[in-house]
Amino acid sequence: MQEHNNHSDRFLIKLTIAVIMLLCVMAVSLCLGSSGVSIGDVIKYFTGRGEMIPKTTLTIIGRIRIPRTLTAALVGGALASVGCIMQGVFRNPMADPSVLGISSGAALGAAVAIVTGLNGVIMFGAFTGAYIGAIIGALVTWLMVFTIATRNGHYDTSSTLLAGIAISSIMSALITVLMTLHLEQMERVYLWMLGTFSASTAEKTKILVIAVCILMPVLIIIAPRIDVMKLGREAALTLGVNQKRTLAITLAACSALLAMCVANSGIIGFVGLIIPHIVSFFRVTRMRRRLALSFFTGAVFMVVCDTVCKTVVAPGELAIGAVTSLIGAPYFLILLMRSRIRSGKEKTSV
Amino acid sequence: MNLEAKNITVSYGNSVVLSDATHTFEEGKISVVLGPNGCGKTTLIKALVRKFANTGKLAYIPQEIYGDVGLTVRETVALGRYDKSRFFTGETEEDRKHIDDALKLMELSDKQDRIYDTLSGGEKQRAMAARAISQDAEWFIMDEPSSNLDIVHTKHILDTAGRLVKEQGKSFIIVLHDINDAAHYGDEFVLMREGRIIKVSDTLSAELLEETYGTSFGEVKTSSGQTIFYAS
Repeated sequence: MQEHNNHSDRFLIKLTIAVIMLLCVMAVSLCLGSSGVSIGDVIKYFTGRGEMIPKTTLTIIGRIRIPRTLTAALVGGALASVGCIMQGVFRNPMADPSVLGISSGAALGAAVAIVTGLNGVIMFGAFTGAYIGAIIGALVTWLMVFTIATRNGHYDTSSTLLAGIAISSIMSALITVLMTLHLEQMERVYLWMLGTFSASTAEKTKILVIAVCILMPVLIIIAPRIDVMKLGREAALTLGVNQKRTLAITLAACSALLAMCVANSGIIGFVGLIIPHIVSFFRVTRMRRRLALSFFTGAVFMVVCDTVCKTVVAPGELAIGAVTSLIGAPYFLILLMRSRIRSGKEKTSV
Repeated sequence: MNLEAKNITVSYGNSVVLSDATHTFEEGKISVVLGPNGCGKTTLIKALVRKFANTGKLAYIPQEIYGDVGLTVRETVALGRYDKSRFFTGETEEDRKHIDDALKLMELSDKQDRIYDTLSGGEKQRAMAARAISQDAEWFIMDEPSSNLDIVHTKHILDTAGRLVKEQGKSFIIVLHDINDAAHYGDEFVLMREGRIIKVSDTLSAELLEETYGTSFGEVKTSSGQTIFYAS
């Protein structure tokens, strides 16, 4: 009994470490960029002594750095959370919004809105038609993957992946066709598809904050049901979990969250795939805990990647997608190798 | 509570896998569902589960579960307490007792911190049985609980079922392949063939088995008076 209490305590420690790390990397990220800002100025800004900082620095922190860093953290957290949920729903370690084509679907939806001129502002000063387009695109793609991958009420691992990969390439091809037909918009759509946080504004960030504050609690509430669904449709039903209803809510919340990220900062792959695995290495198993830890780990990871993006070739910028892969993949491979070695040792000692 | 199946018909596309199944499963018994592969046994019990799941009195143990679970054995067993859990209380003392008892009953206490997916097939099946036991339901509906178990653990699971019926008044519906296990542990036999319930009987005989499986059966009496059936 004692031992299991310890387990939950250790989870809280892990979560606290992740939150503290996030605050640290965000502070560092606020200081770094094409022009340097001292940590003293950042502290002054947050302690209400803004009048002691030069005006340009004040503008850089308030209008550029804070929205960008916050956006990176929220997008990283949201993408990791969606990946975590999808891996649980599909019971497949390879499931990820970018692998299954949901991101491309959202991007297609947003691209359609942009090129057809339906991209007008709807509310909050920055919630445009592209967001609605992205949500519709994500939902439609996800429904397609689900429909194709379902067999007698469960998801066949390989057909889920194959369907996702095929649908992903269809969506990408459609975006290419769309760009070719609208050459005048091509550069805009293309840059955004590569993924970037450089266009973050306070208004866009506010929308993201609202979306995360509404949708993450939905996922946190529904997360334990995803664990129960692993027992199969009938057994879950005896525990009061209706598979169809749970899937519908999960699908809607994840699509909306993902679409918000894609509409805000384009397609950023890999985060949703690796962060849940990194959380597994921390020995966190239950979905609600995985989700919470994935969110903060994903946020830390993305802020670090974005900081690298805006500093190494300053005043230029690297594409965030390239950096997430270059930092994330080797780290992931190291963890994978170490876990192999560890399980190998276990085998010989038995 | 008795479980009444009334005129249940299930079809996939044009093929009818269960036609007009009607039978009342009475409480306090081990009812065994027997029949050749593909005769609709699983379909029948799944239909029953769907019909009565909302009573909260059923626990269902599927034949196998698909894909990674990714939880520890204890957490998997603890899923059986999900419908009693509340958002803010977490695991209660009562939950913990049920989980510990179920783990002990299925001899998994020493493996409770292992990840479910790393267990052997037989251990997985016992973990699923423990999960159902922790649910503290009135009815246990099991699909082929012995398909991955060795003879010792099959006996252990079926003995446990018998004890739960006698001592706690629980009820079981079990799909079994082994006709001698069925004959030994069953109180009632639901015999199925080609999507229909063809007979319900309190005892098994070579004639009934012949009718069910479409092949001839013989029987021998052991010195202890037990009847052993064999396909001849």
